[in-house]
Amino acid sequence: MRKDVAIGLPLLVLAIVVPFAWPTRYVVEEMTLFFIWAAVVTQWNLVFGVAGVFSLAQMAIFAIGGYVTGMLGLYLGWSLWLAMFAGGLAAVVFSALVGVACLRLRGAYVALLTLAITQTMYLLIITDTECFYMEGVTCRNFTGGTRGLTGYGDFGFHQLLPHKYAAFGDYFLALAVLCTATAFSVFIIRSPVGLAFKALRDNTVYAISRGIGRFKYQLLVFAASALFTGLAGAVYAGHFRVMGANTLYLSQTLFLLSMMIIGGVGQIWGPLLGAAALMLVDEALKEVVEWRLLGLGLMLVVFVVVWPKGLAGGVEAIARRWRRDSVRAFAAVRPEEVASAKE
Amino acid sequence: MNTAVQILVSGLTLGAMYAISTIGLSLAWGAVGVLNMAQGGFLVIGGYAAYAGATYLGLSAPLALALSALAGAAVGAATYFFVIRFMLDCDNFETNVIIATVGLALIFENVILQAFGAYPLRQPVRIEGGVNIAATYVPYESIAILAASVTAMMAVAWVLARTRMGRAIRAVSQNRAAALLMGVPVNTVYLQVLTISGVLAALSGVMLSTITTLAPTMGYDPMLKAFIVCVVAGLGNMYGALYAAFALGILEASVQFFLGVRFGFPAMLLLIILTLVWRPYGVFGRGVTQRF
Repeated sequence: MRKDVAIGLPLLVLAIVVPFAWPTRYVVEEMTLFFIWAAVVTQWNLVFGVAGVFSLAQMAIFAIGGYVTGMLGLYLGWSLWLAMFAGGLAAVVFSALVGVACLRLRGAYVALLTLAITQTMYLLIITDTECFYMEGVTCRNFTGGTRGLTGYGDFGFHQLLPHKYAAFGDYFLALAVLCTATAFSVFIIRSPVGLAFKALRDNTVYAISRGIGRFKYQLLVFAASALFTGLAGAVYAGHFRVMGANTLYLSQTLFLLSMMIIGGVGQIWGPLLGAAALMLVDEALKEVVEWRLLGLGLMLVVFVVVWPKGLAGGVEAIARRWRRDSVRAFAAVRPEEVASAKE
Repeated sequence: MNTAVQILVSGLTLGAMYAISTIGLSLAWGAVGVLNMAQGGFLVIGGYAAYAGATYLGLSAPLALALSALAGAAVGAATYFFVIRFMLDCDNFETNVIIATVGLALIFENVILQAFGAYPLRQPVRIEGGVNIAATYVPYESIAILAASVTAMMAVAWVLARTRMGRAIRAVSQNRAAALLMGVPVNTVYLQVLTISGVLAALSGVMLSTITTLAPTMGYDPMLKAFIVCVVAGLGNMYGALYAAFALGILEASVQFFLGVRFGFPAMLLLIILTLVWRPYGVFGRGVTQRF
């Protein structure tokens, strides 16, 4: 725990300082988006990496959070601050249902079923052409269809804050979601529940024979990972003032999957590292945007084949070697102290 | 009566499309546990190879088909040499292969997009014309796909059941270590399976693109449907996959007719979830069901 705080706190301070030190619109926008994606990936990592359930439904859960928030704002006139939590809860319920559907499946079967669920949601939204209400003479669909759901407003930071700092509102809201999401995932991974998830992942039969119920823990991990994913979706919807089916594109799911794989699956700081790395790579690839997919694909293949533990695994290996070297250097100077420390 | 024929014809067409895209996938996944997410890319490459052969090189239809098969074999073999070969010994082979082949799929999509553009093209390698059955127009293409899917499925089932190579593939699928100890060249088996699967995918890509159009992303939809067919049928059962493909096609066509086109796929998905709750290893699957 102390190590996690030691890593997390400087990062948090850095994130707070950045917009004041570098207050361009571009930096603030990109960082906000980074916080949103990183929050989703840290939660996805709980299901995918820690519990070892190969779910690809995370963006569907994200979209549920965003759409429910937008719809409550648009149709019932709720404030987005309230709707946001309803969106998070809806995401939890939806995710638990996905967990039930996948309960008896394993490995690749889970991947395919959850991929199909995401795809179905996408198809249902983009084929939605029925008029739900009229706005002047234009017909609007219940889900917003291909145009996306709009007209529910935003978090109201433009009224609250002076014009110059208006973009900071969403920035710090996204940062708050990311922080709580990360703290939550660290807490889960270090807790007995996290150990149970890992036990079920590493040896299902043995874990069950030790009294760890698969039903209970699978539901738990799906539900737990959904709350902050849904909240991230709500922040996304409020930040862009439009919620569209583009969040359900396969390429978006794969972008986030790459963040997790490249960062390091199942490791606490892997998702953050991966999200940061991929946002930077994506930024670099904007020069050659027509080869973006190729770059992503190549990175995925190379990491899975050559470096399956990801960046976080690499950092850890370097840290371990460095520590060993420093112990050895110390031993060379004061062998008797090291010997007594060993006893 | 006419309605019934219409639903049956469009259901059989859909079913044949699903069946033909399933074969290559089912072979690689069922036999050697490689769930190839780049299968859609194989389909697309096959379709575009035939297009390029016919348009740029002026090849006749059979030669264009041969070129497409060659391209499929090359891509399948390349997938083995550049990716699968290095992963055979890693811990989570089955799941890591999915991620690596997702990466491949992205690469293929990008290359095709840059080479041919995003604009949908018409597949020139095709059979023109059709026939009227009870006032329903049935294009010859649909009949060809139906015949090809059944033939290919039976051929693959025969190879698996009766030939020396098929026996080696089954041995590897049952127990890789034991097969290796018995002198089965395991690596060659993977190479063979991926090459054959590449050829089948490429040819089905040509046929599918005659009904839809050629586009860099045209592979994803048939691939997802093919996955679903595999999951419903259960792995390692070619005939089961054939039945499942046609059953799902007819079901989708009926739902589309009675409830509207947009509910075809969701209804299918719901049925699949219910099926899998009932039989997690598929309707025809032979997996050992364990209670957890």
